[in-house]
Amino acid sequence: MAKFKVFSEESNKSPLARFWRKFKNNHPALVGLWVFIAFALLAASAPFLAPYGVNQQHSDALLIPPSWHEMGDVRFILGTDDLGRDVLSRLMNGATYTFGLSVVAALLTTIIGVLVGTFAGISRGIRSSFLNHLLDITLSIPSLLLAIIIIAVLGPGLMNTVWAIILALLPQFIHSIRNLIVEELSKDYITAFKLDGASNWHIISRGIFPNIYEHIVVIFTMALSTAILDISALGFLKLGAQPPTTEWGAILAENLGLIYLAPWTVALPGVLLFLAVLSTNLVGDGLRQVLKERKAD
Amino acid sequence: MILDYILRRLGLLLFMLLMLSIFTFSLAYLFPGDPLSNLSGVPSNNFSQNTQLEDKYLYNSNYFTQYIAFLGRVFQGDWGLSFASGDNVFSHILDLLPATLELSVYALIVSIFIGVPAGILGSAYYNRWPDKLINSTTIVGYSMPVFWLALLLIMIFSLKLGWFPMSGRMGLLYEIPPSTGFMLIDIALAGFPYKGMAFTDALHHLTLPTIVLAMYPTTVLVRFTRESMLKIMDQNFIKTARAKGLNRRQLILHHALRNALLPVIKKIGLQFSTLITLAMITEVIFSWPGIGRWLIDSIYQRDFPAIQGGLMAVSLFVILATIVTELLYSLFDPLSRNQAHGKV
Amino acid sequence: MHKFLLTLLAVTLAGCLDSEERVIEEKSQGLVYCAEANPVSFNPQVTTTGSTIDIIANQLYDRLISIDPVTAEFQSELATDWRVSKDGKSVTFTLRQNVPFHTTAYFTPTRTFNADDVIFTFSRLFDVYNPYHFVGDASYPYFQSVGVDQLIRKIVRVSDYQVRFELFNAESSFLANMATDFAVVLSAEYAMKRKAAEQEGLFDQYPVGTGPYIYREYRRDNLVRFYRNPDYWKHDVALEQLVYDITPNGTARIAKLLTKECDLAAHPSSAQLSILAQREDINIEKETNLNVGYWAFNTERPPFDDIRVRKALAHAIDTDKIMQAVYYGNGTRAESMLPPTSWAFDAQTSMPLFDPDLAKSLLAEAGLKDGFDMNIWAMPVSRIYNPNARKMAELMQSDLRKIGVNVNIVEYEWNTFIQRIGEHRHDSVLLGWAADTPDPDNFFSPLLSCSATFSGKNPANWCNPKFDLLLAQALDTTDILMRKKYYADVQSLIMDELPLLPIAHGLRFQASSADVEGITLGPFGAISLANARKK
Repeated sequence: MAKFKVFSEESNKSPLARFWRKFKNNHPALVGLWVFIAFALLAASAPFLAPYGVNQQHSDALLIPPSWHEMGDVRFILGTDDLGRDVLSRLMNGATYTFGLSVVAALLTTIIGVLVGTFAGISRGIRSSFLNHLLDITLSIPSLLLAIIIIAVLGPGLMNTVWAIILALLPQFIHSIRNLIVEELSKDYITAFKLDGASNWHIISRGIFPNIYEHIVVIFTMALSTAILDISALGFLKLGAQPPTTEWGAILAENLGLIYLAPWTVALPGVLLFLAVLSTNLVGDGLRQVLKERKAD
Repeated sequence: MILDYILRRLGLLLFMLLMLSIFTFSLAYLFPGDPLSNLSGVPSNNFSQNTQLEDKYLYNSNYFTQYIAFLGRVFQGDWGLSFASGDNVFSHILDLLPATLELSVYALIVSIFIGVPAGILGSAYYNRWPDKLINSTTIVGYSMPVFWLALLLIMIFSLKLGWFPMSGRMGLLYEIPPSTGFMLIDIALAGFPYKGMAFTDALHHLTLPTIVLAMYPTTVLVRFTRESMLKIMDQNFIKTARAKGLNRRQLILHHALRNALLPVIKKIGLQFSTLITLAMITEVIFSWPGIGRWLIDSIYQRDFPAIQGGLMAVSLFVILATIVTELLYSLFDPLSRNQAHGKV
Repeated sequence: MHKFLLTLLAVTLAGCLDSEERVIEEKSQGLVYCAEANPVSFNPQVTTTGSTIDIIANQLYDRLISIDPVTAEFQSELATDWRVSKDGKSVTFTLRQNVPFHTTAYFTPTRTFNADDVIFTFSRLFDVYNPYHFVGDASYPYFQSVGVDQLIRKIVRVSDYQVRFELFNAESSFLANMATDFAVVLSAEYAMKRKAAEQEGLFDQYPVGTGPYIYREYRRDNLVRFYRNPDYWKHDVALEQLVYDITPNGTARIAKLLTKECDLAAHPSSAQLSILAQREDINIEKETNLNVGYWAFNTERPPFDDIRVRKALAHAIDTDKIMQAVYYGNGTRAESMLPPTSWAFDAQTSMPLFDPDLAKSLLAEAGLKDGFDMNIWAMPVSRIYNPNARKMAELMQSDLRKIGVNVNIVEYEWNTFIQRIGEHRHDSVLLGWAADTPDPDNFFSPLLSCSATFSGKNPANWCNPKFDLLLAQALDTTDILMRKKYYADVQSLIMDELPLLPIAHGLRFQASSADVEGITLGPFGAISLANARKK
């Protein structure tokens, strides 16, 4: 349709602004983005916002239900657990671990993945073939299994989990980046650029990256949602964060014994996890949609 | 041509198995503790036994000789002894793997029967309400952590409604002789004992774990099928067919489906590895006596021979499943064979 | 494909309708017991792990004598009569005749129970010429920790149905020890058969006893299956089948009870009791029990070898909070090592009270003003004496942080845990002890004596000659007042030295489906399901 626009002001806007306009129209994605930003802010500031300390035990207030319940107490908005710890404070701090660490893991994966992926994309011959076979092997092993293997070697623990998840996400990431680069490299404008005598570095930095960074963001969101799911799953299996660390999966596993007595201690971390993954996926889907539409134009 | 392709894939398979075996072998050295007891599963506490083990495992030779000896033992089924139980790891795996496979296979079947039609439906009603409904359901479905879904279902269907049991493969009072390890087949082989009650009971026990396990692959298949269909529908030969006056139904059933489902088949095969991984979590929650639960228990207990063997078995399975899928896929789709070389 | 499915469905449905009634009846004659851990062995001689003893001892085996839980008098079991000589140094048992051993897939007995079985069983404990003495590293933890293996001089076969135990010295607790769950009688004929086949290692794994149930199969992490012993000598057994569903998770055990997957759940966590009590289809039995939950320090390892450090740590713990959050009011706070229901109980005035300031100054005295790092091993299963050690450890962690001690909580699978505690790899451990006999010695010798240290049953790794001497003196006499006095000294010595801090005595619970009856739950010893039946 755009081809028949009579006025041309709009197309003068920067690609980013146009991107945003399209994204904005996708309401679920927009809501996802706000939730996502809220989680990110919470993860960064939880220790300052939380009303109580994470491990502060109130021996006079065990298993208080959330404040809207008739047995609730306004001091503890989301109630307390069996050791008298404030559930709200613990969950807020959990955002730092589950969401914050996932973002860190996904970012690190992105940096390493882009570097190695680019290298794989421009290399040829035996090196490329070897790398691909290696990728083929690791790709066929799901990230969670790979993470479990790595944990089995390193031993359980939160930091080990983060390393494991980075290593486990990398193959997929490298693979996707490499595909993007190979695809771009075969395009005519790059060939033209090459003929102009551009160096490899120029081709990558001036030619390819401006065209693929949005795709990298999409891959990042995918890596992020996998990272959240994996960190919490490992926490739940007691292979990742160990109680009393307030990682959501670990909180959930820790409170499983209270499921009849204090269902809120199990329900709330689950809901938060779900929301975190959902918002990430909504944003990712929204971005992908925009990219697809732009390609169709 | 096809032979060439198969040979290449087999070569790749061998290469992968080689890497896997080297990795597994090196685990004994990577794990904390004494590599010899990690390999054999015999805690080192007396000298004569140690010397005997050193001889058997060629421990004082170079790594390569040790590795060859390791391979030999792997093929003989001597995978060392589990620290926790003192039994041969390989026999544990033989006992446990069928339970995991059984669960995964049923979940895969369920996800195919739900996922593929739903994806086709979504593409047929592109951007109308059925598509939107399916789309939002899938995004919810794959944003849901598996363990959380499992807990919710247990809360509702086992504890509140009492419709389904929450653990195990079947009521423990039914004694079924294990011959194949696949519960339903075993019951059938035993001639439906307990007047068929055992069979229905086993189906009951299967229901919740299968649903939980099937959730993720189903959403993946829905999305993938839908995308694949939309891509095909956008191609010129469909446009031509439409121009010729074919209606939507004819277009989808006779022209698009056949082409769109090819990549879906490959995707289905790839789901198997995801399933085995998710099965670990599912098994832990539903106390399913499979290899995943055992592996995770072994990690808690630092039972290194068991971890080693379990990882090897699971990875072996994942690799085999991947290769078999690719072979099958290439049988259906000759075009893919061109990609046999190391490029993508 | 469709046809096949339809046929299958038809067959199944027809099968169901055909004789549904009969089948349901068959199933209801079995009982599923949700147990908390894998059995470590099928021979009670070689283990003291309560979860294992609960499964095997009273179901597969019989003892020579037992103790009546109400009157505390000895009762006849496989021995119809027992006489103690005047000097107390020999005990003669007259044995019951025509008691058959189990016929199983791996053993068919050719004779009934007689003196040979008793001699074989008990000589294994101390006689190096017994072919089975060294099987399983010659470890008989209970008997070694109470010194029975050092006590028996020889066992004499008087006749086919009479045996005489000759002892080195008279010890008042000998008969009580013979009545524990560990003193079961094994089959000598079966042992010889295994030996002939050079399969001694399988003897403790595939049991043959005289008890109400017969071993059928054991699948690790999954189940243990027993069938009814049709020839049980004592009475008819009602249950056709007895299955132990191995469920380490306490919440899962409750959930299975609610979904009717279990008829009986071991040690339901006290947190859930209020929920279970509201249900009409579930019965909760409560029983006072001789037990103690404690916090033991590895007294050989610095800084815990310093009594001031142990005292400081004890003073830093808020026991009231523990009673509320861990026991949910279903336990009594310990006032001594012995529970108040024991006849030798003597309330200790020197129990350390919650006083963080005192704790800090004690630490400063010991030269640890800046605190230190330590670990607390929390047992991974819930037992009567400690329903949730992990939670207790977390509470203690936060208390100890206040006096500058950083705590790392360590957990392992139960059997591994026990084994590593035996190797004294811990700094401190949350464990407990449930009595096997009402004799107070049962609380001290198996736990804190020097011989318990060597057999790896002493979690405090503590060996005090004065303590052992007091115990020996208490055992040497049968004068109850004298014994009481000695045990009072023993109790105050523990409080002075504090190798372990007694925390609480728990109540014993059993949660079962309302249609199960006949379960015997006593103040001591393992559970017996011999009389269990379904309504």
